[in-house]
Order: sequence, then structure tokens, then C-alpha cells
Amino acid sequence: MTAFDAAVLGGGIMGSATALNLAWGGMRVAVIEKRALGSGASGVNAGTLSLQIKRVALMPYAIRGKELWATTAKRLGVDVHYRVVGGMTLAFTEAEAEALRTRMAERIAAGAGAEMITAARAGEIEPALAGERIVLASYSPLDAYANSSVTGLAYRRALVAAGAEVREGAPVTAIDRAEGAFTITAGGERVVARRLVLAGGAWLKGLLRMVGIEMPIHYRVNQVAVTERTRPLFKAVIMHALGFLTLKQSDNGTVLIGGGWQGFGDPEAGGGEVDAENLVGNLRLARYAMPALAGSRIVRSWAGYEAHVPDFMPLIGPLAGVDDAYVIGCVRGGYTQGPYMGQLLAELILGREPEMPLFNPNRFNEARAAA
Amino acid sequence: MRIENAVARGRPVTIHVDGTPVGAFAGESIATALLAAGIRRLRESPRAREPRGMFCAMGACQECVVRVDGRAVTACTEPVRDGLSISLVDAGR
Repeated sequence: MTAFDAAVLGGGIMGSATALNLAWGGMRVAVIEKRALGSGASGVNAGTLSLQIKRVALMPYAIRGKELWATTAKRLGVDVHYRVVGGMTLAFTEAEAEALRTRMAERIAAGAGAEMITAARAGEIEPALAGERIVLASYSPLDAYANSSVTGLAYRRALVAAGAEVREGAPVTAIDRAEGAFTITAGGERVVARRLVLAGGAWLKGLLRMVGIEMPIHYRVNQVAVTERTRPLFKAVIMHALGFLTLKQSDNGTVLIGGGWQGFGDPEAGGGEVDAENLVGNLRLARYAMPALAGSRIVRSWAGYEAHVPDFMPLIGPLAGVDDAYVIGCVRGGYTQGPYMGQLLAELILGREPEMPLFNPNRFNEARAAA
Repeated sequence: MRIENAVARGRPVTIHVDGTPVGAFAGESIATALLAAGIRRLRESPRAREPRGMFCAMGACQECVVRVDGRAVTACTEPVRDGLSISLVDAGR
């Protein structure tokens, strides 16, 4: 069995982007994914590519990530329905307006490319909004979205074209280290690789345990719903000052409704499930912002897992105590930033200086800290 | 448009289609009543604005969606009631 230069465990956007950049850098790479590429959060999120909802500390990464999305069709050879439609964040109360003002001032200074606008201006840009309910808004003509459901398709094609080996339907059951190489047992088969990249998304905790590392990784169960095809109502991505709403209308007329309302479920037990009461809350807020949505029926709703650590900052870099092992995950807003975060980690693994600093993944390493 | 012989029907009812009275029989679906009255165009497609009407007749395809009291319903699965008010004007949009 010839050893791969690197095995990437997890075929979401983080793992796929890392693997693709490693392959482009000349490495022999295997991507090992328990289900299908992009079948977790990378493929079921609402597809928002907005800088104005990104935290200041991650803004430079989000800016570069969004730039990569803009050229994804060309780089990966698959149309991911990237659309620059503008984005608007709405405040419906004075308290929300104050929160929006404070937060946006920092984000605008960090390069979010947005401006504060009045309710009247918001109504001019998107007449379908309930203008009389808006107190204040921010707007950026640069915000965009893409269709997250084609993430896996796009990366699979690019990975194969780049010569990477893609193994899907292969859950990892063991990781052994001997003689300077990792032997990964997945889907009943073994893969040997000199380097290991753990990119399991909401399943990262279990992968880390297989190399003896315990980290406080938690997850949220974010719900999304989609309406039937509806007449063209709006163009921009519509968001909410406190983060409880995202709205976007696709080319085909369906309206995608998100905002991080919580479903339930456990990644180890299976897929997330929709909580009906929270779905109704999400839809009420959607209708409050855009009354015309009341005439459209919901066709489907679903939930996806989003992992995080207590400080809500990413884990990206080499794992302390396990030579040649790396981790990438827990990036909130990971859909926007994923292509760039993967590129950064690949630069490090390829022995280059990453363009921007990585995120020490050992700061929460409980087992090592206790040792 | 209706079979006249050897069929037991419900009592006659009147429904209103964009304000116009249309006769029907209890037990029929809205789509049946409209088809019998010669009304085949039930809505426009949301983007191309092309005419749409009953297609699958079993509640799946959504092509026959009309509005009853502001609610979008599949005409093929919704029974008529006396005095029912149906709107085709904005149906399916």
C-alpha cells in the first residue's frame, strides 16, 4: 500500500478546500468522507456570502473567502450559482438599531463595505420590505449568495480533476500511528498517509478522540426552510440585526429562509431535525420583514450542524502532541470563509508561509492541558 | 361536461370564482367544478407568466393551486362548499 502525502478526514468545505490546495501543490491526497462530500453544514446552510454579518476578527479572512467564491466556477469548473445581489441588515426596534449601529461601525471600519441607510432608503432598494417596521438598516452592494447544495458536486469534480482520491460513504473507525505514517480505517478499508488533516465539522470531536485529544467542541442545529416558487419579490440578501433572519430569493423564484433558529439532534446519532415551533418563529419574523411572503407555502425545511468551541473562533493549525496532524474546523461563517481557510492550512502543510495567521487549535486541548 | 345518467350527486351548491357564481355539487373538488364550468386556466406560472391548470389531479404537482380565503390550496384536493369564494387572480404567486 503506497502512502498518501496527506489524508483529509471530512469532505465538507474545510476538508475539500484543504485537500484541493494540497493536490494543486503537488501532494498525493485522499479525502475520506463518512457520507458524501458537502453533505453536512457545507451543503445545507443558507448560502449567505455576506461580509456585514462577519465578526471583525475574521473580516480579513471573510473578505478573501468571498473573493474565492467569486471565482469558484472558474477555479472548480462547476457553477455554484454565485450571485452578487447586495445585502441588507434590518433593525426593527431602537434596541436593535443601537446594536446594529455599534456592530456595523466596527465592521465597516474592518472592510465590510457596508453603509448605514434609513428605512426609507431600505424601502427604495427593496420595495417588498415592510418599510414602516424598519428603524434602521445597513446595506452593502457587495454581499452575495451561492447555492450551498452544489458544494459537494463542485469540490468532487475539482478534486478528481486535480488527481486527489475521494472516498465517500467511508466513516472513519480508527486512526493508528506507526513508523511515521497514519493508518486510517474507514468504511472497512485502510488508507496510509504521512500527514493527517482532521476536518470533520460537527463530527470533529470524535475524530480528535481517535488521536487521543479531547476538546470542548459544541454544535448548533441551524434550521433552513424554502418556499414554493414565487413571483420575483426581492433581490438582496435580507438579514436581521440580531441574526435571527436571512432571506434570499433564488433565480427559480423560491425563497430561502434561515437565521439560525434551532432544531434538535445529535451529530453522532444522525441528521438534525426541525423544531416546528422554532420554524414557525422563523417564518413569523420572515413575514414581519416581508409581508408578501405570507402568500407562499413552505415546501421543505431541514437542519444542519454547526460546530464551535467556547470562544467561537476557528481551530486551524497543527495539533500539539501528534506530529504531522492538523485540524481545521469550528469556523463560524465557515461557508464564506472555507475556501480561504483551506488554502491557508494547505499553505502551511506545503511548507509555505500562510498568507494570514492560522488559529492555534490547542488552546482548548483539555487532555494535554491536564497532562 | 358532467355525466348525466346513472350518477348519484350531492346537493347543488354555488361557489364564487373571482366573484362570479359557478354551480357545483357537494362532494366535487374545486378543480372538478371549475373544469365542468369550462374554467381550465387556474393560475399563471410565477416567473414566465404562462397559463397553468389541473395536471396530476392528486395533490402532488401544485399546478392547480388557487386561493380560498387567502390561503393557497390545490384545487384538485379541496372540496367545494356552498358559498366558497375562490380567487384565481393571484393564485399560485
